[in-house]
Amino acid sequence: MDKFSLFAAQLLTFRECFSKKGHSACAGCGVALAVRHVYKALNENDKTLEKARWQIPWKQSSIFKTTDQPSGQALPALLSVPKENDNILNICFDNECTESRIKNNSLIKKLPAIAASSDYAYTATACPSHPFDLFEKVNKGWEADGHAYIHILCPCPAGWGFEPQETVRLGRMAVETRLFPLYEISSGYYQVTTDETNPRPLKDYIKKQDRFSSWKSKQIESLQEEADVFFHKLKEKTKTGI
Amino acid sequence: MVNKTFKQKSIACHLLETGKVLPFKSEEKPELMPVWDKDLCARCALCYVYCPDAAISRQEDGYFDVDMNLCKGCGICHRECWFGAVTMQEAD
Ligand code: SF4
Ligand code: SF4
Repeated sequence: MDKFSLFAAQLLTFRECFSKKGHSACAGCGVALAVRHVYKALNENDKTLEKARWQIPWKQSSIFKTTDQPSGQALPALLSVPKENDNILNICFDNECTESRIKNNSLIKKLPAIAASSDYAYTATACPSHPFDLFEKVNKGWEADGHAYIHILCPCPAGWGFEPQETVRLGRMAVETRLFPLYEISSGYYQVTTDETNPRPLKDYIKKQDRFSSWKSKQIESLQEEADVFFHKLKEKTKTGI
Repeated sequence: MVNKTFKQKSIACHLLETGKVLPFKSEEKPELMPVWDKDLCARCALCYVYCPDAAISRQEDGYFDVDMNLCKGCGICHRECWFGAVTMQEAD
């Protein structure tokens, strides 16, 4: 057999729906990679999107003010409350570069759950390091009957402080350490889509990034604990529902 | 980039110094460019999948090559290839 047919990536469409002029993002930009994947997934569904390219509604915002609370206006803008007959797919490309920086991590993690509890038909988390998972979720979100929200973690070489070539590795690591578990909530039912039975220690992930350079081992431990608790709660919910 | 603490940096996407940012199809070319070794390549398309700039395209023979008008020399294709078929070399 030709080795050609052995690889899953060969099943993808090779048609590029991404801006052919290039873009002005940094080298190794996780957001650009995620946008490219999203367009690939969407284009399978709707050929009219091919023309739209970057003209799809695209808003860059800092959703958090300097306090750790979501600012009064910004959060509802991100998660608009679904009205009847609305059918909107919201995608958040999160590069974790907020003004109060990493502190918001725990809040960001709750966004999919907040969305699910405000009548979103489908919510999920995704990461461009797991492209097939991402394609599937975007497709499900597109087809969902009602509002959908997808939260995509996009590693940012400039903001996080790592070499541009590590972008995909760090995304994968965030998933493998269970800091950013991939899951979906479809009409109230939780499902963890990549379950690492043998998670990586969080230390590996932290040590790779300059933004954590001042962190002491105590902080790493407490974040590890937080991540573990979050993941176990998630696991519980897959059994019991919301 | 390496020895700065997180606080010393501007927020990403609002960078003060352009650094590695190359605007669109630029006259300026990246320092490094990926080079494919067809003997090692298994045509798995992973390099293609992970390129954030959509610079890699599949050739007629099933192997991959780069469009240097789009490539920013980030090295993700080099890092993600399982077979070590992509090396980063000085661009001329
Ligand atoms: S990732 Fe490596 S082996 Fe796979 S197609 Fe690209 S160069 Fe070839
Ligand atoms: S170096 Fe980066 S931009 Fe250039 S082809 Fe490889 S992945 Fe794409």
